[in-house]
Amino acid sequence: MAVAEKTPEVAAVPVATRRRRSFRPRYPAWLTAPSLLYYVVFFLGPMAILVAFSLATQQGFGSLRYGFDTSQYGLVGTSLYLTIFERTLLMASVGTVLTIAVGYPVAYWMARYLSTYKMLALLIIVVPFWTSFLIRTYALKIILDPHGYLAQDLGINVLYTKYAVAVGLVYDYLPLFILPVFASLERMDWNLIEAATDLGARPFTAFREITLRLTLPGVVTGALLVFIPMTGEYIIPNILGGGNYEFVGNVIGDQFNEAQNQPFGSALSIALMAALSVFVIVYILFATKEEQFGA
Amino acid sequence: MNKDQDQLNILAPRQMKPKFDYQHREAQRAAGRPLNRRQALGLGGMALVAAACGSTTTTTSGGGGPASSSSSSANALAGKPLENHLEIYNWSQYDDPSTYAKFKKLPAEASVGMTVHETYYSSNDELLAKLHAGGTSYDIIVPSQNAVAELIQENSLLRLDKALLPNLKYLDPLFLTPSYDPTGDYHVIKDFGITMFFFNNKIVTEPLSTMHDFYMALPKYVSHGRTNLLDGAEEVVPLALMALAIDPNTTSQSDFSTVKSFLLSIRKGVTTIDSSAYINDAIAGKIILSQGWNGDVRRIVQGRAKQGDITAIIPHEASEIWADNWCIPAAAPHPVAAHAWINWLLTPSTAVTEMNYHNYKIPMPSALSQLSPSLRNDPMFNVPHSYTDNYHYILNVSPQVVEARTTIYSEFKAA
Repeated sequence: MAVAEKTPEVAAVPVATRRRRSFRPRYPAWLTAPSLLYYVVFFLGPMAILVAFSLATQQGFGSLRYGFDTSQYGLVGTSLYLTIFERTLLMASVGTVLTIAVGYPVAYWMARYLSTYKMLALLIIVVPFWTSFLIRTYALKIILDPHGYLAQDLGINVLYTKYAVAVGLVYDYLPLFILPVFASLERMDWNLIEAATDLGARPFTAFREITLRLTLPGVVTGALLVFIPMTGEYIIPNILGGGNYEFVGNVIGDQFNEAQNQPFGSALSIALMAALSVFVIVYILFATKEEQFGA
Repeated sequence: MNKDQDQLNILAPRQMKPKFDYQHREAQRAAGRPLNRRQALGLGGMALVAAACGSTTTTTSGGGGPASSSSSSANALAGKPLENHLEIYNWSQYDDPSTYAKFKKLPAEASVGMTVHETYYSSNDELLAKLHAGGTSYDIIVPSQNAVAELIQENSLLRLDKALLPNLKYLDPLFLTPSYDPTGDYHVIKDFGITMFFFNNKIVTEPLSTMHDFYMALPKYVSHGRTNLLDGAEEVVPLALMALAIDPNTTSQSDFSTVKSFLLSIRKGVTTIDSSAYINDAIAGKIILSQGWNGDVRRIVQGRAKQGDITAIIPHEASEIWADNWCIPAAAPHPVAAHAWINWLLTPSTAVTEMNYHNYKIPMPSALSQLSPSLRNDPMFNVPHSYTDNYHYILNVSPQVVEARTTIYSEFKAA
């Protein structure tokens, strides 16, 4: 930077009338205006409406009196909604742990043992993502059906229970976890493992001390990448839970659609966002760490 | 408000006051219509519309000012010409395609070159949300009974001009002034149905005849297969109230706590809470005991005719009766065409076509008698009065009641 700024000064000496030039790319700030406008209108705008709704008072059906009424936030703390929040976070955590348990070995295998078919494997992981989320969840319902092979031949009858919700979470979000973990495993220098075993480390010790440590930022990124949308899940509990294991998202939906109570629905949404912010902060901390150490 | 100009002193029962107030507001709303629509386009339009209604006093709308006194608003459309377009907002596939084609070919409609455009919604909530957000371009909407009552309360519906609906005489008089529109001025019934239940008679062998019997059977048979309740706060809670012989539209806290503990006591007996997938699942033989709407249950029974294992029960004592209705929004741009449409649907020959298409009963004796015996004599289609006399319409009584139902519904699901 300093060099780029100095050069024109030197050049400016002989020809005094010449304008000072910078060789830095000069993009005027107003070029960002369209995207900033989009951000304000379609991102901050709805957020502002949500906040305004949550602080409004319900007058009658579909009519609100805007003001500063924080009573809706008080209702969020009642035991029913705390139970649902607890359940949502618990199930999203279980889903995340299961996703790690299923996803990490797959990513490891792809990164370490595949060479010719690596890209093909990656494609197979990603292909289901090209299908609608909704369709995939319905497809899973057929596999879990109590009249299907899984239930009748193996005796695993879990449809319309929390177990079905957990299976759905893992299935629908697995690729989102595998990709960042695969990326960090790809960057691994496997010579380090060889060196460790040469020096007498047992395979598991080598994995724990080297592979796991080096790929941890990728794992955390992947875990948060699946945990956050899992917490806001609506479709999976709706289709696979049969009304037996509902997430905060479903309750928010009921408040908007069934009760037509926009203030309370909005307050619940904002409470969920606040809860998730904690995890986003963790994510940001880990993301900066990854940049620093360049895993 | 132009009170000094339009002051009327009317001696009438006190309960008529809201009606008179509404007519007064409606006249002003009609007068201020072009302004309202433009303002409603903006975000937060609802608040602006309310403000505009309060401040607009002009009666210079294009059609020559509908009313200068509230009492004449009912005949505001007399002598107005038929418009050449009709905008319908409806449930999808709810009317026979020939009904539209023939409507456009009626003499008066053909001479003005009538065009019809239809868009669709999938729930009353979607309809209400659209109207609340300022959707004012519709001429015809098809709300269910609870949405009708709510829209009347919000002054969002046009008072129908009966002079433009001569075919109203064909309808069964019992359906002209239901609890959701006690004066019968804002709706014309489109068709109606009931909530009933069905079970697999190879598994459930005891006789069940009331909704209460149904709930009591749930915990007993849940270990034998999937049981199902109809989904939604406005189904789960009022249906259970009726099973307990309580008014489904109750506002009493003690009734709510009674129904809550009743619902929680049978929670273990309910496998799924679902209103959409249950039809196909039941036809596939996956459900052993479930509530259902009569049109759906007819399909299920027909789908299982070969196995013959589904018994359908129209409950004795209380259950739900629901109705979909033709209504005209207060700000409809083509109100005369909308009336012409409703009147066309009230023609007995049209009603026959419609019933053969959607298989829901239109309470029109002269049309019902023209149906094939297989349809006419099916109690699941032509539900006898002896049953429906005990049934109730479920209404959105007030935001507080709806919220109380939704909370119980959430607790029930979370239990």
